[in-house]
This record gives sequence, structure tokens and C-alpha cells, in this order.
Amino acid sequence: MDLGIDPDRLGTCVQCGLCLSSCPTYRVTGDETFSPRGRIALMRQVQLHDAPLTPEVTEAFDTCIQCLGCEPACPSVVPYGHFIEATRTALTEHRGSRKRAIALWPLTKPRLLRLGSTLLAIAQRLRLVPARLGLPRRLPLRQPPHRTSGTDVYLFTGCVMDVWQREVHFATQRVLEAAGFGVTPTGDSAGCCGALHTHAGLAADGERLTERVDAALDLNIPIVVNSAGCGAHLKQHSSHQIFDAQEFLAEHLDRLPDVTPLDLTVAIQDPCHLRHVQRAHLPTRTLLKKFVRNVTELDDDGLCCGAGGAYSVLQPDMSQQVRDRKVASIERSNPDLVASANPGCSMHLAAAGVAIDHPMVIIDNALTRR
Amino acid sequence: MRRNYRNRVWASVTSRDNALLADLQRVLGDRVRADSAERALLRRDASVFEGGDAGPTCLCETTEEVQQVVRIALAHGRAVVPRGAGTGLAGGAIPLGAPVVISLSRMNRIVDVDTESRIAWVEPGVVNLDLTKHLTPLGYHFAPDPSSQQVCTIGGNVGNNSGGPHCLAYGVTNAHILAIEVVLADGEIVTLGGLDAEPSGYDLRGVFVGGEGMLGITTKVAVRITPNPPAVRTLLLSFDTPRDAAATVSAVIAAGIVPAAMEVMDQRITIAVENYVNVGYPRDAGAVLLAEVDGLPDGVEIDAQRISDIGRAHGATDVRQAQSDEERMLLWKGRKTAFGAVAQIAPNYYLHDTVVPRSKLADTLEEVYRIADEHDLAVVNVFHAGDGNLHPLLLFNGQEPGIYDRVHAAGAKIVEASLAAGGVLSGEHGIGVEKQPYMRQMFSDDDLDHQERLRHAFDPACRSNPGKVIPVGHSCADIQSLRATPEGVWG
Repeated sequence: MDLGIDPDRLGTCVQCGLCLSSCPTYRVTGDETFSPRGRIALMRQVQLHDAPLTPEVTEAFDTCIQCLGCEPACPSVVPYGHFIEATRTALTEHRGSRKRAIALWPLTKPRLLRLGSTLLAIAQRLRLVPARLGLPRRLPLRQPPHRTSGTDVYLFTGCVMDVWQREVHFATQRVLEAAGFGVTPTGDSAGCCGALHTHAGLAADGERLTERVDAALDLNIPIVVNSAGCGAHLKQHSSHQIFDAQEFLAEHLDRLPDVTPLDLTVAIQDPCHLRHVQRAHLPTRTLLKKFVRNVTELDDDGLCCGAGGAYSVLQPDMSQQVRDRKVASIERSNPDLVASANPGCSMHLAAAGVAIDHPMVIIDNALTRR
Repeated sequence: MRRNYRNRVWASVTSRDNALLADLQRVLGDRVRADSAERALLRRDASVFEGGDAGPTCLCETTEEVQQVVRIALAHGRAVVPRGAGTGLAGGAIPLGAPVVISLSRMNRIVDVDTESRIAWVEPGVVNLDLTKHLTPLGYHFAPDPSSQQVCTIGGNVGNNSGGPHCLAYGVTNAHILAIEVVLADGEIVTLGGLDAEPSGYDLRGVFVGGEGMLGITTKVAVRITPNPPAVRTLLLSFDTPRDAAATVSAVIAAGIVPAAMEVMDQRITIAVENYVNVGYPRDAGAVLLAEVDGLPDGVEIDAQRISDIGRAHGATDVRQAQSDEERMLLWKGRKTAFGAVAQIAPNYYLHDTVVPRSKLADTLEEVYRIADEHDLAVVNVFHAGDGNLHPLLLFNGQEPGIYDRVHAAGAKIVEASLAAGGVLSGEHGIGVEKQPYMRQMFSDDDLDHQERLRHAFDPACRSNPGKVIPVGHSCADIQSLRATPEGVWG
């Protein structure tokens, strides 16, 4: 079956195996099938040598979290992210894309998403929602509206995050304003960035959504994104100037007021799409060091937490094994709080009982002494 | 050597396997895999060699599980092959004759660290670098540091008696292993060696290290842990030619300095590495020498200066000292990922591992370049210069018709040249299937007989990793235990 990968690029993996340790699914299974090297070998067999798509082969592809921890580990710079995205797209077309397309459809309809979330919030209060679903503990019943304070930067509000974690947007906006930037939240007109669609193998839908974002916004105004997954996708697919929130603010550190740092030890959990895709994880440290007493690192070299967008729902077993490993690393570091700049990661880890906040929320707290 | 996948029939589980599988599943549940994807993936390690399909793969978690799997395999007349991360470079872990694969990657616990006695007990699936990272806050590290240390496992290090850049000063794996718990081929569990300074009796531990899985399966290891040096200096010297770099290495050792590491890379590989790490490796130098000295601060200052002077006297065009730990780590990251970086040049590599006397290093290198030229092949050289351990990588595209014959022929010439210079077959990667055909060039029939007898003392029925190291034809029992003729390997 043609996976749509350029055969020459597929040939660039020499199977040295240096990627193995940076793959979360290999780390928890110890099984070659669940490693980047194994998956690339299987892609070759399927695309170049007509190997059958057995359940084990599709499982190998489906269980990839797409954290792309293997990419910075590869000395030959094999574009694994491109391989797995193409493979997912081919598989989705092969198996029929209807279910996935329907599951992700609400993301493109903000009002429907908000209505759904309100219903969920009511259901939560009636204790009808099992905790194991990993939703935020108490979804808001009603959301205060966004406000515009200027046009220096856009704050990208996205889809699910705007519904479930709008307070992170508010915090980000306050921090940007504290640095003297007038902020326009992008809101419903720009909508969803399409990252989840692309990762789920619906590349065309993802593309269409990114185009909508681009069309809705002024090309001259930088877009600040506080969700690492959305930021990574937009950096790759949008034609606008995209900045991760920490990355943007670390460049303007001197514009942020000096305050007494919070008396906390904060461990940094880098979202994979910030660290491995955007490779913009260091500014989080620069920034946080100004606002908290002690910033510490986890000892697992940025291994994925297992959230992976919709992955935690689609592959709950593997996702939890990967999370267990992360939680153990957090416990060894023993911080007061964990900082993670991606809504999916923080929800996933919070569901395992980890005290976690977005760096922007932590900085906002330091600035407003809450 | 590797052939095309296209001609392969995708293996299905045979009825004979079903009984075996059922027995294995009784012990391991869903930690046994026997699907066609897994079986095909495990044909290879990090070398170009490709075995036959693997039999069932057992992801063991305890010594007792390994013991039971070995006994079940034995009862079904099947051989066993241990596998760690599969980063071997000589085909030591590839399956021949559909053996039961015992994967040790899940046995990855650091059982105990005793800083007072400087001993750590670890399981074989612990990743080499994970152990050092675990020890770092305590002020220690595990000294053998193979280039693949970020992924390779301690069990594999024991099996291959692995070396690494810093083994120049600290010694190879064998010097850092005190005791090994082993499951022998008949399922008996024994502990070789011990924690005493001078254990009594024969040094069976020393025999086992480097046994390439043919003497039994490692299930627990007591390793020596090494205190971190108080000071480290890392120098990067640039030269116009590899010959100048090699001459510098010889001169440094001759001057009585014992650096922690001395590594040379030629221009092509330096460029590939620099593309990846961006730390400022010179792209225009004919060769670079990465030299490191460690110890007490005053001593390393003096040694660094002396190495720098010797380098300049031998034509170094530039000498740079790493200014920070971060820069030092990046320089090493470049050197240690060199093999993996070659895909930037060509999609396949074949790597040799011969060792020559340091004084013959420069001549042998030139011979290697000549041989590659003669066979119209690209070659890059990256090697542990300090101990004369060459790593010429022949680079090629496996899709090109007839290319493997040329690569094979050039490889044979390189071995011949190294042996003629008074060298040996392997420094640290092991013999596996790769160097098996060259064993007769190195050893007499008598030598091989003795090696075979030693192997039989541990594994009389040749059930543990059969078909490796000792040349085919010399070892009858190995052939009998192979279910099918090995496919796809040399010859």
C-alpha cells in the first residue's frame, strides 16, 4: 500500500537505533514494534514491499503519540514527523475517515462546542461524569467574554482550550498587557488551528482550518499562541508570524515588572510540541526564573507525558503507562507545582493528581499576587 | 549480507510454533509476540546483517521468567537469542533458525547502588546512559561509554565487552564488571565472579564478558561505579590530514600522557556531525582530534597544554578548548552520534572495527582510503585513535545492483590490511556473524577448537545464540541446532 512517503526520504534511516530511548512507547514496552526505528521499518515494508497491513502493523502506527522526541535524537535528521503524518493520513483513508471526522467536527463549531461543554459542566455537577475520562475537574458553567485591549499582538484562542481553559487565555492576556502589549483575542472568526485533524490523519481538513485562521487575521500582527500543540502546527502550516507565548515574552523580559518571586519550587514539564517540534522550550525557564523562587528540571529528558491530543482517549492503555512513567519522574523531583504550556498535557497530568498550571497562569499569579 | 526484502515470504506461525507459543504464554501472558511484524523487525540489529525471521519474542521481566523460557525452548528443541536494544554492529543478536528471542529490555531496574563499596547491581536491560544519569547526583558514573550509550543496554555491554571513547583511560567493560547472574543454556541460574577483591577459583566472570550470548543469558550484573573526576578539559584539534591527527595521537601516548579519551574523525563525517550538532566542528579541516583529559585541576591544565603543544608540533591548524560543560557535551554528542549521522551521506553503512598498533595507525588509514577508492566506494573514518581501534564506515546505497559484493570485497581487504599490520578483528563490537568468516585468518584450528570447547563447557547443546562467532563448519552442533539454513547473512 502506498503511504505517500517519498521513497528516498524513507531510505534515510540507517536503523542505528539512537532514537529508541527518546520514544515513550518503546520506553514503556521495550518492544521494537513500538519504536521509531521499528515503525519506519514497517512503513518501508508496507510502502516499498507490499507487506500486509496486519492488525499488529496498524497498531504500531496507531500507538505512536507523535511526540516527535525521536526527531532531535536522530543524527541523520530523518523527518519522522512527516512519515507518521503521511502514514496516518493513508491509514485513515484506507479505513474510512468518517468516524474521526465526525468526532472532530465540533472543534470547528465554537458555539456547539461551548453548548456541549456547558451540558458537560451541568452533568459534572450532577455527578454523572466519571472521573476516569480525564476531563478538567470542574468545567465552567459560564464563560466571561473575551475583551480586546489593542492590536500589538493576537492571542490565539483556538477551540477546546477556549472552552475548557479560558482562564489561561485571560492570564496570558494579562501578562502580555503587563509587558505593555495591546492584545486582540482571535475568537470564533479564526477558530480551530486544525492540529488535531492533521494528527488524526485528516490532513485536508487540517489544512482548510489553518487557511481559515490565516484568512481571518491580519498578516502584519504577530500571533501569540499559548498552546504548544497549536503553536507547533501553526508554525509549520500558517503563513503568519507565530510565537509561543513564553518564547515571545522571554524576548521582552525587561518589559515585565519586577516582583517578588512566588515562594514555590516549580518543575517544568515541556510539552513535546514545544520542545521537539518548535524547539522553543528554553524560554519557559528564562521567564519562570524571574517569577518563582526555584525552577527545577525533571530527570526524564523531556520524554512525552502520554497526552498527545486525542491520543489519551484513543489509546488509553499506552497513554496511562507513559503517564505513569512521567508521574514517577515528577515524584522524584518533588516540586510544589508543575508548569506545562499545553492544555492537553496539563489535563492529562491533572487527571493523575499532579498539581499543574500553565506557565502564564503562574506568572500572572506572581504579577497579581494571587 | 542484506538482501532485498522483496523476495521474502512473510512468515506465518507454524503449527509447530503453536505448542511452543502456548507454553510460553502460560508463563508470560501477552508478553509473548509472534506476529509477522515483530518477527520481521527482529531480523536486524543496527548492522547491515539480516537474519531469518525470529521465533516467538519473549519480553521477560524477571530472572525466573528467563529461566522458564530457556527451559521451554529447550523442551521444544529450539535455540534462544538474547536481545537488548538491538544496537549491535556485528549481527550478534539477529535470529538464525527461528530461535526464541529473549528480550531483556523490560528488565531495566537499578536494583541497588552502594557508593561506599562503589558497586551497583543492575538488570541487563538498564540503558547505559540511564545508569550514569542515575549515578550523577551521587558523584559517580559507569565508565564504559559506547557511542550508542544513550540506547544500548548493560547486558549488551557485557555480551560484547563493549568499549567507548573513555575506555582509553578507564578500561573496557570487563574492567567494570564484578559479578554476573547468568541463566545457562539448560536453565540453571549461576552467579559468576563476586564482590570480593580477589574471588577464588577460575575467573569465569572474565570468560563470560564478551561471550556474545553464547555462554548463557545475563540477568543481573554487579558493576563497578567510578567517581566523577574533579576537573575535565576537552580539546578539539584541527588538522589538514588524518595522518597528522594519527601522528599526534601516537606522540601524545609516547609522551607518557594518558588522556581520558582521544577520538579522530575525518572531514566527511565531521561535516555530517556538524550539520546535526552545530557546535562549531570545523568543516574545512581534513581531520579533527577530540582529546579529553581529566583528574585534579592542576594536572589537567598541564596535560591539556602539553597535548595542544604536541598537536601544533604535528601540524594542528587550530586548537580549541571547550569553554563550558554544555559545549563539551555537544562536542561529545557529535562524536557519539557519528554512525547515525551517515545517512546524510548514503542510506547504508558497513562498519569495521579492527584494531591496529598505534604506530601503524596512519599507514593503515591510508590503506583503508586506498581500498575504498579501488572498490569505488565512499568511506568515512571515525575512530578511537588512542587505542588504535579503527571504525571505517563504507557508505553505499543498498538498492544499487551488485553493491553488496563490492562492499564485501572492500571489507575483506580492510580486515586483511589490519591483520597484516599486526592488528586484530574486533575492538569492541564483537564478532557476531559479521567477522565470523575472518576468524580463520586470525586464529588457527587449534585456537578455534579451544574456543569451541570453552563454549561447550557452558552450553554443550549449542542452544544459546547458535551460529555466531565460531566459523560455520567448525562447530557441528551449531548447525544441527539451526532449524533452517540461515538466510541473508554472509556467504
